[in-house]
Amino acid sequence: MRTLISILVANALLFSGAGFTADIDAQKIADLKQQLADITEELDDLNSRVDKTERHTALDRIQITGDFRTKAHSLHFQNVTWNPAMKVNFSDFGAKAMSGAFGDPSSATSPLGKMMAANPELAAAFQSGMLQGVMPYVLAPQTQQDIDNDILYTTRLRLDLKAKVWDNVSFAGRLSMYKNWGDSTGVKVFDSWNSFTMDGTSSGNTSGDWLRVERAYFDWKNINGSNTYLSIGRRPSTYGPPSHYRENEMRGGTPSGHLVNFNFDGATLGYNLGEITGIEGQVVRFCYGQGFESQFGNGEMFGDIITKDTHLGGFNIDVINDGTNFLQMTLFGAKDINDGFKGTMAFPTQLAGIFAPTMYQDMQKFENFNFVTRVQPSGVIGDMFLGGLGYARETENDYKWFASIGWTRAEPNGNAGLFGGMLNDAVFEAELNSTGTEIIMVPKETVDTDTKDGYGVYIGMQMPAPGGKFGLEYNYGSEYWTPFTQAQDDPIGSKLATRGHVAEAYYIFDINPRMFIKLAGLYYDFEYTGSGTPVGAPQKVDDVIAGTAYSMLPVVDTAYDVNASLTVNF
Amino acid sequence: MKINLKVAIAMALFLSLGSQAMAAEGGNPKKGKHLYKKECKACHSVGTEGPELTPMAKTMSQWDRFFKRDQHKAKPEVFKALSEKDLKDIQQFLYDHAADSDQPQTCG
Repeated sequence: MRTLISILVANALLFSGAGFTADIDAQKIADLKQQLADITEELDDLNSRVDKTERHTALDRIQITGDFRTKAHSLHFQNVTWNPAMKVNFSDFGAKAMSGAFGDPSSATSPLGKMMAANPELAAAFQSGMLQGVMPYVLAPQTQQDIDNDILYTTRLRLDLKAKVWDNVSFAGRLSMYKNWGDSTGVKVFDSWNSFTMDGTSSGNTSGDWLRVERAYFDWKNINGSNTYLSIGRRPSTYGPPSHYRENEMRGGTPSGHLVNFNFDGATLGYNLGEITGIEGQVVRFCYGQGFESQFGNGEMFGDIITKDTHLGGFNIDVINDGTNFLQMTLFGAKDINDGFKGTMAFPTQLAGIFAPTMYQDMQKFENFNFVTRVQPSGVIGDMFLGGLGYARETENDYKWFASIGWTRAEPNGNAGLFGGMLNDAVFEAELNSTGTEIIMVPKETVDTDTKDGYGVYIGMQMPAPGGKFGLEYNYGSEYWTPFTQAQDDPIGSKLATRGHVAEAYYIFDINPRMFIKLAGLYYDFEYTGSGTPVGAPQKVDDVIAGTAYSMLPVVDTAYDVNASLTVNF
Repeated sequence: MKINLKVAIAMALFLSLGSQAMAAEGGNPKKGKHLYKKECKACHSVGTEGPELTPMAKTMSQWDRFFKRDQHKAKPEVFKALSEKDLKDIQQFLYDHAADSDQPQTCG
């Protein structure tokens, strides 16, 4: 730079007109010298400043962006029914009772005598021969109520991390906090699978003021000059298309949000097929992950492990992604699914009343105490498959619409835990406890081992509107619809996991490109129980309300969520 | 009911004051993408006259500065051949997909 200026000045001096007087020339040279000195001084100053920014850039290896959302919900649940029962093999019970395995029925101190005294109606029905084969053993009287949570505030903070490791290697991560106001316990009283703090759903269920690692992975692209990439870590498997439109953000994850919205640890091997076919954005991906670790940190002191690792794998193909058209195909399989996950919960007193009378006696003295307990599954209940096809279109005028169809298949293996087997109820058999003092019910098998197919549809549109955007969405899930979308952060539960109908309307006011207000209303109409869990047989909600079907956990008939949120991206 | 009425009035006010949301520069990024591929990539791809280029080559403000001040100094006739509307659309597309813009969060 200095050399250039010197040459320019020299040129200027060389070609300055000879007709000028010596005085004027001398004056000019003096002026130019002064200017050159000023420029040199300015350059020295700039150099020292650029050195600082260059050093700062070199040392600042990670880019942090994020978003902050505060949301107010008004939640209303209709016909919340609790009608708990278990299916008991009474023929087996009768045979054991008659053989004297449970002691003398006429003795008040025998296990059978105690049970009959505690359940007089059941005893009468049994003695009159009304209980044969597999029948429900009612655990508590039916309760029914409407629940109104007029106001529930939540705060979500997400910090996105990006780092360039090398020309073709990058790191991405996201730290996420999602809490409801006034609560940082990290656990909820267990009244549904949404109230279970666990690895796969911790980003989408309120769990206190902890920053959790929602995702962290590297991308190694163009491996060896090819179109192949490898990515390993905690996957970007939440907020995928087309569920990102309602979030007013760009595609938030790799897999279809209609089928997967769940934190997974795993790997993706992808191939940018579009480089060969010429179809923009065409990517074929093989994804692999582990959803459950059966050994490390599990079991009882020294093994005693009857669960298995849950592995899943499959294909996630972006057929086209050109900014206007998006078509995605998904096909996944999950092997050795257990009857739950590792997680923590606050133990509900009602369950102690049903299953643990001895413990319940003391728990009554501490009405407002719940003990926090770590739960692990009890066994493998089968395999699952998921498939889907989703299409989204964004027009030049900013109109967006999408349609997605999904399919889930459950293949039960006949095993069952306390809450059932794979989309199947457990059949319990009576046994004596280890001390021979009490009859306990032990889940033995599932009602059947038939394959269960479920399907779901998800359609929606978003259009420009005064001040922002207006959107409408609808989704439906059939009786056996069981996607992995439990991390979707709707407080009533993942709307896309609903076995029934959900309609949503929203209006987004774009305050500026980095800030928006969203007003939304969601209406849920549950047709079958157990939305979002592969454990237990779905029951018709109307039958549970009518008292002809049972559910170990409370059942919601209809619900609506009216909410307003303010989101700031930074 | 009173609250509902207040909310309705507030919304009506907001809507009456609200205007059509505009992109940062008022261009149409979808049209801009099409023009970028047609007009820019012809010279700015691998093995072409100009250096290879993607929207990620510059930040949002660097693209804005390029369109406002530089105006393709290296070959001004390229910009002169495009209408003001076309240039705005291309600028919007590049701005929306610049290095510091929001990106889809996927692997690969």
